[in-house]
Amino acid sequence: MTPAGSLLAAEGLHKAFGRTTALDGVDFSIHPGEVVAVLGPSGSGKSTLLHCLAGIVLPDSGTVRYGDHDVTGMNDAQRSALRRSDFGFVFQFGQLVPELTCLENVALPLRLNGVKRKEAQRHAREWLERLEVEDTAGSRPGEVSGGQGQRVAVARALAARPRVIFADEPTGALDSLNGERVMTLLTDAARDTNAAVVLVTHEARVAAYSDREIVVRDGKVKDMLAGLL
Amino acid sequence: MTAVDHRPGPTDQREPSGKAPTGLAVWFRDLVMGMRFAVGSGREGWTRTALTAVGVGLGVALLLGASSVPSLLNNRSERSNARTIEFGEQKAPRSDSSFLFHRVGSQFRGESVDGILLRPEGGHPVLPPGVDKVPGPGEAVVSPALKKLLESPDGKLLHDRLPYRVVGTIGQAGLIGPSEHYYYAGSDKLSLKDSGTNRATAYGWRIQSPDMDPVLLVLILVGCVVLLMPVAIFIATAVRFGGERRDRRLAALRLVGADNHMARRIAAGEALLGSLFGLIVGAGLFLFGRQFIGAVDISSLNAFPTDLSPVPALAVLILLAVPASAVAVTLFALRGIAIEPLGVVRSAVPRRRRLWWRLPIPVIGLALLAAFGTVDRKTGSVNTYLIGAGAVLTLLGLTMLLPWLVEAVVARFTGGPVPWQLAARRLQLSSSSAARAVSGITVAVAGAIALQMLFTAVGDDFTKPTGQDTSRAQLQVMLPARDGATTEKMIDAFKDTKGVSGVIATISSRILSAGQERNEDGFPLSTSLTVGSCETLQEIARPGPCKDGDVFQIKGGPGSYVDEDLPKIARPGARALLNDFDDKGNVLGRPSTWTLPRTIRPVDARPDPTGEQNTGLFATTGAVDVKKLADPTARAMVRLDPSVPDAAEYARNTAARFDVTANAFQLMDTSDDRRFVSVRNGLLIASVATMTLIAASMLVTTLEQLRERRRLLSVLVAFGTRRGTLAWSVLWQTAVPMALGLALAVAGGLGLGRVLLGLTGKSGIAWSVVWPLPLFGAGLVLLVTLLSMPPLWRMMRADGLRSE
Repeated sequence: MTPAGSLLAAEGLHKAFGRTTALDGVDFSIHPGEVVAVLGPSGSGKSTLLHCLAGIVLPDSGTVRYGDHDVTGMNDAQRSALRRSDFGFVFQFGQLVPELTCLENVALPLRLNGVKRKEAQRHAREWLERLEVEDTAGSRPGEVSGGQGQRVAVARALAARPRVIFADEPTGALDSLNGERVMTLLTDAARDTNAAVVLVTHEARVAAYSDREIVVRDGKVKDMLAGLL
Repeated sequence: MTAVDHRPGPTDQREPSGKAPTGLAVWFRDLVMGMRFAVGSGREGWTRTALTAVGVGLGVALLLGASSVPSLLNNRSERSNARTIEFGEQKAPRSDSSFLFHRVGSQFRGESVDGILLRPEGGHPVLPPGVDKVPGPGEAVVSPALKKLLESPDGKLLHDRLPYRVVGTIGQAGLIGPSEHYYYAGSDKLSLKDSGTNRATAYGWRIQSPDMDPVLLVLILVGCVVLLMPVAIFIATAVRFGGERRDRRLAALRLVGADNHMARRIAAGEALLGSLFGLIVGAGLFLFGRQFIGAVDISSLNAFPTDLSPVPALAVLILLAVPASAVAVTLFALRGIAIEPLGVVRSAVPRRRRLWWRLPIPVIGLALLAAFGTVDRKTGSVNTYLIGAGAVLTLLGLTMLLPWLVEAVVARFTGGPVPWQLAARRLQLSSSSAARAVSGITVAVAGAIALQMLFTAVGDDFTKPTGQDTSRAQLQVMLPARDGATTEKMIDAFKDTKGVSGVIATISSRILSAGQERNEDGFPLSTSLTVGSCETLQEIARPGPCKDGDVFQIKGGPGSYVDEDLPKIARPGARALLNDFDDKGNVLGRPSTWTLPRTIRPVDARPDPTGEQNTGLFATTGAVDVKKLADPTARAMVRLDPSVPDAAEYARNTAARFDVTANAFQLMDTSDDRRFVSVRNGLLIASVATMTLIAASMLVTTLEQLRERRRLLSVLVAFGTRRGTLAWSVLWQTAVPMALGLALAVAGGLGLGRVLLGLTGKSGIAWSVVWPLPLFGAGLVLLVTLLSMPPLWRMMRADGLRSE
């Protein structure tokens, strides 16, 4: 059963890759505006949980519900549309499209949603300013620093005003100073827009930006707040 | 431990263990290291090496095929010569090994069916090549293709014409190609008295081939350049597969101390291994593919698998040139790249491509052709090397211009929908790989345009009008009519044949003057006598009123044969002899007298459907008893009903029923020079092979580019990008360089074509042969894009992120 008031919830998620069990009966929920850190050592299943929650991969069993929708029951096109309209993503290395300028990268989710180019770019420019990287607008990802690139990636994740942001090791490739700045900007912006953030990390100082922490170990989840395994 | 805290260990690793390699040894060491990297970097490395090997292998297979052409032609020619019977030995003495032969040529549904009738004269007749036993009367040994045809349901129609019992098949030694329809049939009726029957004592004739027309040489030369350059370009593209990942690996090597030169040599080593595997794959593909060469048959141009054997010197050249090219191309490709140690490879500040050194290459090529390329059809001299070099430079220049053109044009692209923007930005960031991918087809289309222009312009020189009128008759059958009665029956049989709508039939013979007058050679005065109906006469003369019993004197038109004896014989009321005479001028047989009617009148000749102008006497059937004619020949020009399938075959069968040696041939408005046709067909086959390679190469290149971008595709899909968006983006990325490449190809092809036309003294552009070629190229791109969609679909999975 979906916890009351939750925006995104998973129940009994099982996922295996060959003989390796990545998720073994995981439950999860997140509320609007909440930042939940998913902690765990390498290979524990953190990213797999994020991918299942975002509808990137389907679990072998269990359900993922987003509002009134059963994500696990959707087909590929429906899940793509959901990711396009309601979800945002930040990855460890930004994963910006190298041939587009930073401004075009940020505008891309909006354009994929059908927003006109000029309108999308105007909006994107605002987000670049907010993330303090407006001077990168005309540069390509290869021409900016790692920290700048990651802020551009955060701007891209937020530009379409998603209701859930999935951040997979968003500071993994940054020094601590840049990492902290990115986390501050990401969580502040998310809270301002009442977006939920699923933050996968293995760093405690990054997890400190969250409202709640869960730990994934051997495919099982421990909610640190609830203290339940 | 810091860098200064060096503590000597049991073996001090900082001391050089031996003399550092220098010169070639350094090259060898680095290349080998690169080869190890190529296979030692797990699945990724193997995949990249395999793609390179497949790409190079396709090119190598085609090069091996091209290097086999000389031996293929030679083998076909030798087998043809070996089975040719030298005639002119009619007076050769009969012996234990001598035989009589009569060549029989026919066609079945457009395919030649040729054979030789044999009649051994002794107990040990020589055997034709590829035949174990001379067939007896009513028996035949046939080529495997003919056997298959005869045994097929379609073959029943042909069997009526070849009513022999098949007792064996002809081996490879006796056939020019595996698809040839050829046979030897035994006959006990052959006689030296029959026209076309000769005696021989051996097979084999060394025919001296006439010199090749210089224009054909130019066509072959340019054709080779056009067809082989895309292969070379593709090989050069294939060895650069996996460049991006390789660059990251090279950066790591720089970090541990490799210098820039070393890193490049290591990269060359990776490409070298791919090319070496490519040689193996190419040899395998070649050996596998040639098993099916026998199934390829374009206009009777086919060969046995063993004919396709590379010329050893060319094979060695391929073995050496392909790996060497792989190394050279890799070093060349890395020349503008600074490989830095800090985990990334930063391209040296992207420099705009310069036109100044690219443009002169095709210009020099064209200038070389225009200024020094000479084709003298009178002396047969062709400046082979200069024409080859000019064509190579022109087409190579196009491949040099293409990257500049793509870069210059895409730099102006702004805006547009998302797929267009993704494609345009991708091309703006790196247009070289896209330009490389289409440079092969650019060269192929440009060359094809030039060749087609040349073919069209010189085609008239090699295609002669025959003068035959196929609107009046489509088939002519000649029969040695042993007597007039049989001939009449034959004509009736043709009229009753299914699919025959009309017959223009004549019986021809010679008549002699009954007087004692002789010509200057001492022979009796003679002229030809043609017998037929009034309707037939309308087809060979302009007689005016005609009724049965009339006789006409047909006068040849201007330029036709002047029969000086005719006016002396064709006098009203004159007597003539329906006899022949021997080679000493003696009248043969009992004199058979024919008195010409007093109503005989001269008429003008009219070319018959075969284009021949008949002269001599024409008698309607009521004017002369055809049974009395000496050694008459029957000729039927048959008009076929186009609505009846196989009408020509029924007519040929009718002719064969009367005489298996009957010569039935198709009338044609034009006839093509055989060598011209061979060159045209050869280039057609090679074009198909090259185009297939180009399509395969574009597909492999597209897949390789997609593979390199797999991670990015996954990310794009993760945040909800529609597959259609990415598919259109891929299409635009291919279509834009393609459109520019084709535009360049049209311009370059027209330029090259114009210069080549100038060499051969021709002018004018046949646009009808130009425009289909770019369309074909565009169709190829569309096909390749469609074929790349399934793998693109598979790569466009968000769960591809998991591989991170």
